[in-house]
Amino acid sequence: MDKLLDFQNVNFFYQTKNEEVHALQNLNFSVDELEFASIVGPSGCGKTTILSLIAGLLPVSSGKIYLAGEEVKKNSPHIGYMFQRDHLFEWRTIWKNITLGLELQKLQDKEQKLEFARELLKKYDLYDFQNRKPRELSGGMRQRVALIRTLVLEPKLLLLDEPFSALDFQTRLNVCDDVYQIIKSEKKTAILVTHDISEALSMSDKLVILSSRPATVKHIEILKLDGETPLQKREDKTFGALFDFVWKKLTNEKEKT
Amino acid sequence: MKKKKLKLPKCAPYSKAHERYLRKRRNDKIFVLSFQIIILIAFIGLWELLAQTKVIDPFFVSSPSRIFNTLSSLIANGTIWKHIGITLLETICGFAIATIGGTLIAVLLWWSEKLRRIFEPYLVVLNSLPKIALGPIIILWVGSGMSAIIVMCVLICIVMTTITMLNAFVSCDPDKIQLMKSMRANKFQIFWKLILPSAMDEFISVLKINVGLAWVGTIMGEYLSSSAGLGYLIVYGSQVFKIDLVMTSTVVLCVLAALMYIGVSLLEKWHKR
Repeated sequence: MDKLLDFQNVNFFYQTKNEEVHALQNLNFSVDELEFASIVGPSGCGKTTILSLIAGLLPVSSGKIYLAGEEVKKNSPHIGYMFQRDHLFEWRTIWKNITLGLELQKLQDKEQKLEFARELLKKYDLYDFQNRKPRELSGGMRQRVALIRTLVLEPKLLLLDEPFSALDFQTRLNVCDDVYQIIKSEKKTAILVTHDISEALSMSDKLVILSSRPATVKHIEILKLDGETPLQKREDKTFGALFDFVWKKLTNEKEKT
Repeated sequence: MKKKKLKLPKCAPYSKAHERYLRKRRNDKIFVLSFQIIILIAFIGLWELLAQTKVIDPFFVSSPSRIFNTLSSLIANGTIWKHIGITLLETICGFAIATIGGTLIAVLLWWSEKLRRIFEPYLVVLNSLPKIALGPIIILWVGSGMSAIIVMCVLICIVMTTITMLNAFVSCDPDKIQLMKSMRANKFQIFWKLILPSAMDEFISVLKINVGLAWVGTIMGEYLSSSAGLGYLIVYGSQVFKIDLVMTSTVVLCVLAALMYIGVSLLEKWHKR
């Protein structure tokens, strides 16, 4: 499988009034096409910063990030970003929310993309809700709309910044399954940033564990759990051992800080 | 007598308990409205009674019947329309200029963070300054009459409009801005499609506050320098001890301010649809 994303000795510093903070130190890792990678690490280690660097919303201080063979220098059209909350615009209908990205960009194949948006709505049971306002939808449906809004632009790489953290536990498990299946059926590569080890293990093909600040890659685990969906993967007999392994790594980091 | 059937909304399946709940809601609403009307009628009635029995002196406090008679004669000779027209024009001009101007200044200050930081202390000082103090200077600069009154009205509303709208613009969720940026939106698109629509609730609040402030500004301006308008009638009435005229003008002002507020409330309802 080809590499879609490649981090090469990436460093990131940011300035505050009192000091210069070294947030990321010599990060090296890659994500292959169609792979689902998760990044876990102690709180405040710079996980979300990594996503901002990939999206080109922040510039790297040194090193290089390659996306589909091209160096990331500004915000890339190949990226789709999903945040902690769905951030649907309450004054817009579901259809208007989904096509927001298309409105913002001058596209030649806009009609095709609109048709694709309609197909996605039908496929994921939201077609009948297209003229509703977001407040009329459940938490799970709203997350699906947020994902479709991202998919409509046909990004090569999806960045998921704790997209389930605002949901209650039961909804979270279901939405997690939904999102995973949508990403797999649309054949997308994804990077998930999360605090939830179970979520990371059940969704990912690759798990990147970061150290505390300045964040370095502490360990990369390739995951091969049995099951078609995250819920099924949680049933795998090695799931518990893997959870303990990641937990210990993260606890060690926490103790260091 | 046949009991009138309660009109229910179309959407839900009902139980007896639900019907009782809806009936209680309707009755509560009628109760509140009835009391509001009763208080108004009682106030007017008591005022009239006390004035008629000379417990209070109608020369100083007027009475509802005298107000009614004054209003009837002003309508009959047609002068009231001229005064209403002038005050209304000044208020609407001041209201519109302050609302649009204040919002545009807020947009400018949102656009440039440096500009915002430079002008923030000035805004705070201007907001706390009693604008009536600027009255004589305004008359000196723009002359007396309608222009001075409109400027006074604008000054009273514009600073508050700028501060409120700027706060609304800068308090937009940074993650939503990040989302727009990740979709490669430029600054104008971020403003037009996110910042402005998400500040609409605050904009409606500004309209509501400005309705009140614009009337204050206009009447204050008319007190300072005018030859027509409801403010002029009030000043003139008090100078020649025509309290009936003062009270009549005040009642007309109340009605006009209420109508303008209802207009903004209808706009709010339309926005929240």
